[in-house]
Amino acid sequence: MARAAGKDVALGGADQGDLDGRSRAWRPDAGIAVVVLVIVAAAVLRPALVDLLDRPAVAHWATIFVSIAIAAMPFLVLGISISAAIAAFVPPGFLPRILPDRPALAVPVAAVAGAALPGCECGSVPIAGRLVSRGAPAAAALTFLLSAPAINPVVLVATAVAFPGMPEVVAARLLASLLAATVVGLVWARFGRDSLLDRARRSHSHGGTRLSVLAGTAQHDLLQAGGFLIVGAATAATLQTVVPRSVLDSVAGSGFFALLALAGLAVLMAICSEADAFVAASLTQFSLSARLAFMVVGPMVDVKLISLQVGTFGGRFALRFAPLTFVSAVGSAALVAWWLL
Amino acid sequence: MTAAGGTITILIGAVLLRLTVTDTYSRYVRPELGVFLTISGIFVIVLGLATLVGALRPGRNAAAHDHDHDHDAVGVGWLLLAPIAALLLVAPPTLGSYGVGRAAAIDIRSGGAVFDSLPRSSAPRQMTLLEFGQRAFDHNGSNFNHASVQLTGFVSATESRGFQLARYQIACCAADATPVVIQVVGTSGDPPPLDQWVTVTGTFRPGGREIPKLAATSIVEIAAPNEPYE
Repeated sequence: MARAAGKDVALGGADQGDLDGRSRAWRPDAGIAVVVLVIVAAAVLRPALVDLLDRPAVAHWATIFVSIAIAAMPFLVLGISISAAIAAFVPPGFLPRILPDRPALAVPVAAVAGAALPGCECGSVPIAGRLVSRGAPAAAALTFLLSAPAINPVVLVATAVAFPGMPEVVAARLLASLLAATVVGLVWARFGRDSLLDRARRSHSHGGTRLSVLAGTAQHDLLQAGGFLIVGAATAATLQTVVPRSVLDSVAGSGFFALLALAGLAVLMAICSEADAFVAASLTQFSLSARLAFMVVGPMVDVKLISLQVGTFGGRFALRFAPLTFVSAVGSAALVAWWLL
Repeated sequence: MTAAGGTITILIGAVLLRLTVTDTYSRYVRPELGVFLTISGIFVIVLGLATLVGALRPGRNAAAHDHDHDHDAVGVGWLLLAPIAALLLVAPPTLGSYGVGRAAAIDIRSGGAVFDSLPRSSAPRQMTLLEFGQRAFDHNGSNFNHASVQLTGFVSATESRGFQLARYQIACCAADATPVVIQVVGTSGDPPPLDQWVTVTGTFRPGGREIPKLAATSIVEIAAPNEPYE
């Protein structure tokens, strides 16, 4: 419904476009009118909504959908604040100057730098997008994007709490995530095409005072990332509601197939990286290696993240980046698990 | 950014603040996140107001439109209206019995906690379903010492001679919920309906294999608690 309303506004604006000045004066009011219309329509349809929520499957879907959206908001706000601060206070040309030129050096540095951002994956996407638009080497920004939600202190402490008395799980998660992020960064540096990042590069900052740059960037990032977050949350809620548990139990156990199954589950469930260790701890019908793969893949590739990446970097980018990351994460998890667990 | 973008942003903040003021947010996320939701709500409202004022200020259009129009469009941000409209009008319920069979069940044996024996006292001991389950697997539940315990959860399945009581554990939000399930036995009459919240008093009964058993002495139907997850 909201989507259709958005198109109406665009059409309305085009129709009025003959007189440029008139159309500009007219547009904001039309937008607000659509917002009001949507809310009023929803209010009128409220009995139907209540009836729908009486169905257990719909209620389950709705609860998971709004839960993901609500839980992501504080992290998203942190992410867009940092992104806006970069736009307002980091001068263009500064990042390329301080970062090492050689990807072989810049990528591992970016991977380790991820430890400094105590958030989850929703926040790191706008930050990485902003880093790219400010001229940071794409390989380094993408490595940071992958490593920050996986290896920050909050996530590692949560992992230690979820696996009491098993510090090797924390170490394995840290190492496998660093390895996966670094491999993706190096592969991107060697084979990636910067033209795929056009969308992020194009996203220039607003002109004007520092304050207006700060507000303008934050506002743009919030609606952009928030909209794609909604797509991701709806997808994850749908998959959690329709995919039955028996599918999971049928592949339980150990071996590479179980590892692949949990890696796939991490993509479908789209759990926040600060919480996934607790779910991994409860999946006891699977081997420890498979559960490590769940924790390495989840913060790097999931349906919510793919949606956010489409929004920030474009669909053609996400189409290549998500499979590359998935393969790298699964491989790193298998390798580190074989060594440590 | 357009005035519509600002309005949507203000609505996001209003929904976040409303969730925290009414305490509804604990249906969806951990209680600890409440303060961060409040901060985010205030931040987002200020941001939206700044955008709205900037967009409606006369003379702004000519000056600010020297760049890409695409950048100003609300675009995919319109989708945010869906959860906003839903949450302003109807708040989805807490997770119930539908998800118990779908989520990964919590393994109460993980951690292998060791418990001191419960004292024999007249008042029943309140505990979480997780603690009940962990105690049941520690030395086959001998630490219960036949003491009376009190558990609160919702009915996740009904059988002819009892029912299953469940409660979710969440680590961040309801998307990562994992249920703990126990079996209530020794009830008489019809079991409470599915998804009804109950407080059950009783004693541990050995012999449950995967699902620990509680022999009930009293069952009280209650309204869903404010913090529905453990």
